[in-house]
Amino acid sequence: MAGEQVVRVDELSRHFGDKVAVDRVSFDIGRSEVFGFLGPNGAGKTTTIKMLTTLLPPTSGRATVLGHDLKTEGRKIRAQIGVVQQQDSFDQGLNVETSMDIYGLIWYVPKAERRRRIDELIGHFEMEEFRKMPTVDLSAGQRRRLQVAREFIHDMDLLFLDEPTVGLDPIVRRSVLDYLKQRVREGLTIFFTTHILEEAEYLCNRIAVINQGRIVQIDTPENLKRRFGSAKAVEFKLLQGTSSEMASALSSSPSVSRFGRDEGSGAYRVTTTRPESVIPEIYRLADRLSLTVSSIYISETTLEDAFINLVTEDEKAVANGGRSA
Amino acid sequence: MFFIFVQGFGLNGIVPPFDVGNGRVISYSLFLAAGAVTLTVINGGTNAGTQLWFDRKNGMFEQLLMGPFTRAQYILSIIFATLIIGVAGSLLVFGFAFPVLGASFAPTWEGAVLIAGALFLGTMFFGAFAIALSVVLKSSETFQIVSTFAFFIFLFTSSVFFPASAAPTAIQAASLANPLTYTTDIFRAGLFNAVTPTVSLELGVLAIEAAAMFVIAVIAFRRIRV
Repeated sequence: MAGEQVVRVDELSRHFGDKVAVDRVSFDIGRSEVFGFLGPNGAGKTTTIKMLTTLLPPTSGRATVLGHDLKTEGRKIRAQIGVVQQQDSFDQGLNVETSMDIYGLIWYVPKAERRRRIDELIGHFEMEEFRKMPTVDLSAGQRRRLQVAREFIHDMDLLFLDEPTVGLDPIVRRSVLDYLKQRVREGLTIFFTTHILEEAEYLCNRIAVINQGRIVQIDTPENLKRRFGSAKAVEFKLLQGTSSEMASALSSSPSVSRFGRDEGSGAYRVTTTRPESVIPEIYRLADRLSLTVSSIYISETTLEDAFINLVTEDEKAVANGGRSA
Repeated sequence: MFFIFVQGFGLNGIVPPFDVGNGRVISYSLFLAAGAVTLTVINGGTNAGTQLWFDRKNGMFEQLLMGPFTRAQYILSIIFATLIIGVAGSLLVFGFAFPVLGASFAPTWEGAVLIAGALFLGTMFFGAFAIALSVVLKSSETFQIVSTFAFFIFLFTSSVFFPASAAPTAIQAASLANPLTYTTDIFRAGLFNAVTPTVSLELGVLAIEAAAMFVIAVIAFRRIRV
């Protein structure tokens, strides 16, 4: 149903003693939407998921999930959701296939349907080579793959994914994300947290940025980049590899907001709002230091830039006591 | 098995056969064999607590709590699993020990109900007890130490090894509150057709203790911070 609200959250909070883990967050999620929930470590993402999945009672506020009240209809909510937790969850005495089968049994999936889905999911998630292996012997990435695949053994309307791709290689990660996209096209709604912002951008329709328990901003990835990611990245390589003088000079330049080096590619990365003045400066420095710039290009602003700007500005506001109530 | 074949046979020569109720006179080795069967109930309880620890360690605990069932159902499922293992263990002990001891039985419906009731309620009490302990204690090592110690107290203040009436006064008093005493007495009454008027009272006390411990386990369980 177009425009239907699957999740409605109104001023939801969770305190642990004096510590406020989640502070009056409000948002809605529509059907077949992928809602990204991004924030630094300890921002309140997992606590929010634990509340919405009925694992933790909220301290205050209201929420409905799939039309059911969070405080009074927990069992009805749990019957219609799936959850892939951030932490590992496996039964160490079982192999991959049996683990999926038992999980389906717990969810009352009929035997024939379980068999069909296990074969399908093992194919989709490329687990054929370790389908008979005990879960305790799996690598971290294989175990993660099993954990995500296992959740699809049962039917659901809403899926909570708490950093589901941690430990997956890029190829498997992309195939998992594509599978999620396919399920969203079939009507599934997803609540998604990750620290890999490229995949948030690839998958999410809207993103909420949370910091220190409060939602800082909610918007589409494109709008977040446009509104908060004004900086561009200038990437360049030196024929000589590295230069500490060059790094020192650029780090202290007033035009540069961030400076770093990718150890893998060996490229320097300069984040700036003024690439037109930074690029000549790089060439001037190279000339003065007798270095050769072997390649240089400007990349568009990324969601990561927008995210960092948002969180950094919020941290400053908190420090100055200027955060709005 | 050790208790039955070593301790039981060893003490048979110096402990004369005695009346376990209703005029049923049995040997010490048979008396002990019945007690050894109910020991599986206590072992099952330890398994229930250990299972909960494994689930918590491996993340399955939280995963299952987000499933379409209640926390009480989760506890019950562990207890039922424990019961199945306990009954299987009991049957194994029974199947090995009693033919060797040369015992003959004339099973009755009343006896079967008492045996089933004793095993079910005993497992429920000790399963719930172990679950409550595993919730309260902060590490699996502490759980192992405390549960082993607690189960030794249950064991030696019960009628598993000797009739409670033969024990020192302090242990006799403790055995009146001990659910293992009732589990064992009811089991023996059912097995040896030694039903006395006090058996139904013992069954009632055991049922109340098992229900109370189950409620305590559910309350403790609800307080687990996830």
